[in-house]
Amino acid sequence: MRINRAGRDLLYCALGSVAGFLTFAIVLYTIAPGLALSVTIVLTVVGLLLVMGSLRLAVALGAVHRRLLARLQDVEVPAPPAFQPGNGILDRVDKRLRYRPGWRAVGYAMVKLPVSAVQGYAVAFVVCGVIDISYPMVWLLFRNHAPGTHLGPMVAISPLGFLYINVYSWPQTLLAALFGLAQLGAGRWIATAINGADRRLIQSLLGPSTMAERVSELERTRALAVDDSAAALRRVERDLHDGAQMRLAALAMNLGMAQEKLNADPDSARELLDAAQRNATDALADLRDIARGIHPPVLDNGLAAALESLTASSAIPAVVHAGIRRRPSPAIESIAYFCAAELMANATKHSYANQIRIDISSEQAGVLVMKVSDDGIGGAGKGRGSGLDGLEQRVSTVDGLISIDSPDGGPTVVTVTLPLRT
Amino acid sequence: MRVVIAEDAALLREGLIRLLEDRGHTVCAAVADGEALLAAVAEHSAAGCGPDVCVVDIRMPPTHSDEGLRAALTLRRDFPGTGVLVFSQYIETSYSAQLLEGGAAGVGYLLKDRVANVAEFASALERVAGGGTALDPEVVSQLFRASRKKGGLDMLTPRERQVLALMAEGRSNAGIAAELVVSGGAVEKHVASIFGKLGLPPDDNDNRRVLAVLRLLGT
Repeated sequence: MRINRAGRDLLYCALGSVAGFLTFAIVLYTIAPGLALSVTIVLTVVGLLLVMGSLRLAVALGAVHRRLLARLQDVEVPAPPAFQPGNGILDRVDKRLRYRPGWRAVGYAMVKLPVSAVQGYAVAFVVCGVIDISYPMVWLLFRNHAPGTHLGPMVAISPLGFLYINVYSWPQTLLAALFGLAQLGAGRWIATAINGADRRLIQSLLGPSTMAERVSELERTRALAVDDSAAALRRVERDLHDGAQMRLAALAMNLGMAQEKLNADPDSARELLDAAQRNATDALADLRDIARGIHPPVLDNGLAAALESLTASSAIPAVVHAGIRRRPSPAIESIAYFCAAELMANATKHSYANQIRIDISSEQAGVLVMKVSDDGIGGAGKGRGSGLDGLEQRVSTVDGLISIDSPDGGPTVVTVTLPLRT
Repeated sequence: MRVVIAEDAALLREGLIRLLEDRGHTVCAAVADGEALLAAVAEHSAAGCGPDVCVVDIRMPPTHSDEGLRAALTLRRDFPGTGVLVFSQYIETSYSAQLLEGGAAGVGYLLKDRVANVAEFASALERVAGGGTALDPEVVSQLFRASRKKGGLDMLTPRERQVLALMAEGRSNAGIAAELVVSGGAVEKHVASIFGKLGLPPDDNDNRRVLAVLRLLGT
């Protein structure tokens, strides 16, 4: 249903006001006792739990306010960075209490109280105005009684108790209608003004980041990047130790034994040389895999070529649609490539899909968007040890995002958004 | 010679078994982790046929860090009569130091690379089984570097250092003579000079060789 601008402003006032009062009440009646209890000695734990619950509630309610704003005012305020749970209970509590967007959401819940009140008045002005405007009609319809009948006056109302007009005759109802018209105007004006103020509050208190939050986000992703590269090096070392190095040691042993038997027992020597050759071949294959895992050489020819070669070796038929106008920086290409490889491996393992499709484009300014979709059974999600968490971490190190759309029954679409430059 | 092998890579484990059996040794047990190694040695010792020597990989399950080394140290403590040859893809000075802490008798520490020379590997293993020492040239050069920093071996001539290094690897005088292409008499002269400079008193048995090696460690 299309409603005009004024209607949407009023609707926003009405819903925003109700939501605002509720938010204020809910947050106040959880955070206040929580804070009070947490400074006591006996009930500190209960208090902290209450505060943590309250912070979560405030964030969730903040999301409701953001959605209202988006739906009725067409102002999209992105969500603040999500809460990152720590390891262990204490760390978790600590992180939750230091989660700034939570406290800002509490702040919004508090300042929303007067805003809600004004929004309520704006709606009330309009409602009263409409009633008052109807008086001339109402008088004609219902006050055509016999002369001499004694009736009390009709009262033209307003939300302000001291502001009303007693109407004793039909001409006076015109005055009431004018009074109503003025209220309509006032209501609209108030609605516009207070909605603007509310929008700014939401942007600054429920939006993404202040500088401090940006810094803490960067600290977090930098730690992820460092851990990630350390883990990658450890993986390479482990792969070398258990693979190529071990095979080469076995190869050396085979050769040594063969050398000793060369004259006395040529058959055994030949057998040992065969084993040595096998070990050499396997060691080469191991080394090639490791090298490719560090940096696939085909990536030097661009992401599109690398993805083509990736899909060519896929167990499930896969196609690439690439529209890359500006070449991303090498680090971004590498991240996109490994994301695609991981997502394809996931799809191959879990999706029972018949077809995988990779769309990659750089049409949006400064952004590389890669969609990996399959027609499988769906149900892929983060936080199930699916490897998607790892991808999300890796992508977040360059301020990228991953979104997963995978309803049960499929299809699955994973969208990876990366900046073109690091 | 009775041998127990602890090595988690099946390929190498099978290879070692074959190598040793080809040379007429008995492999009492071949296991893939430290716990199983200790259990196997204890079991065979209780049955009265304890192994002469164990070949122990350092990195094994479950943690893939240094469980082999810890098992080796336990063996050294609980079964002093059993030689321990630690066999790894890495040489770490701290590992050498821990292994040699209780003396250098019946201890070996070799890179896996050394198995390429089957005869030398087998003789190193036999030395360790007989209570001798077999240190990888890599171990020895690390020890030299460490002790040079401390200035312990400054008074040795370059030739004497070479001889000491080969002694540390576990070679006999004849072996050293062959390696350096000099006469046996020349080696004996160098060895006597090393003992003198390191202040090791004359002794009838070969104990001084081990002491000289330990001097390398600064102990």
